[in-house]
Amino acid sequence: MSSDAATAALAHPHDPATATGIPNKKLLLWAFLASDCMFFGTLISSHLVYRQHPPPGNPVATQVFDIELTSFSTFVLLMSSLMMALAVNAIQRGKVKTMRGSLLITALFGLTFLGCQVWEFWHFVYEKHMTITNSIFGSTFFTLTGTHGTHVAVGVLWLLSMYAYSFKKGFDQRNAVDVESMGLYWHFVDIVWIVIFTAVYLLEYVYPVTPAR
Amino acid sequence: MDLALPADTPSPAHARNRFHTYVQIAMILAVITGMELLLIFLPFPKPLLIGSLVLLSAVKFMFVIFFFMHLRWDRALCTCVFFIGLVLGGGTLCALVNLFSVKDSIPLSYQP
Repeated sequence: MSSDAATAALAHPHDPATATGIPNKKLLLWAFLASDCMFFGTLISSHLVYRQHPPPGNPVATQVFDIELTSFSTFVLLMSSLMMALAVNAIQRGKVKTMRGSLLITALFGLTFLGCQVWEFWHFVYEKHMTITNSIFGSTFFTLTGTHGTHVAVGVLWLLSMYAYSFKKGFDQRNAVDVESMGLYWHFVDIVWIVIFTAVYLLEYVYPVTPAR
Repeated sequence: MDLALPADTPSPAHARNRFHTYVQIAMILAVITGMELLLIFLPFPKPLLIGSLVLLSAVKFMFVIFFFMHLRWDRALCTCVFFIGLVLGGGTLCALVNLFSVKDSIPLSYQP
């Protein structure tokens, strides 16, 4: 056995407690994320289908979007993923205090992303007059990005709960699976945004469609 | 390795190596996002721009799932479970977008 293989075997030995060798919490999270892929797949396809033949009166996306703000929030979410990965790394090394700091920064980045989204929605509704009910574009856009925002909000609550839970007596390296499972959810929120950023925002600048007259 | 630890907890040496990997990947992701932003303002043909954007976001997606989400180091079953959902969701997306992009799908009221 090579030294790399030996290290890998040491890092990921078979878990005798489960038939799969994977902790049940983690496998459950992966199954949930797979189902969430299908959920977001339908929401993104609804948006892309309806944008192809925009009805009269539909807003022109490039005149509504604020790409600078969206790029900033994308960057913030990517950095939150880094902090989440570092939090998981810290607890796996038994550094609970470092993990707490990373969790707090991740939550702060998540809240910043949500703040940007709230500002964006407010701007669209009150300044650009695009609401969830007055156009198909608004309906699919707010449903998709709103659902994603709800996922981020749930993630922030989970992060803050884990931060509080980490003060419980006995919280240590043995809780790494709990933090890693939460990390999987947070990274999933990030990858969904990677797709939304391209399919919903950037696509409008490269391949714009004009509403029928 | 401490026997009381969860089975998939990496050894301390392994975890230390990953720290640097994570930071490097985050930098790559930030650079790719910057490239995507630059691309939309370049006067290239639409198919090339769309193809490049799809490719770059796919690269970002793969970096996150294989490194940040540990699929690279986890058991193959995790990858299989996730990719079942991903292929079904992505396949539905491609099928619907292609189905509704044909001319016959244009609502009659919008046609000139």
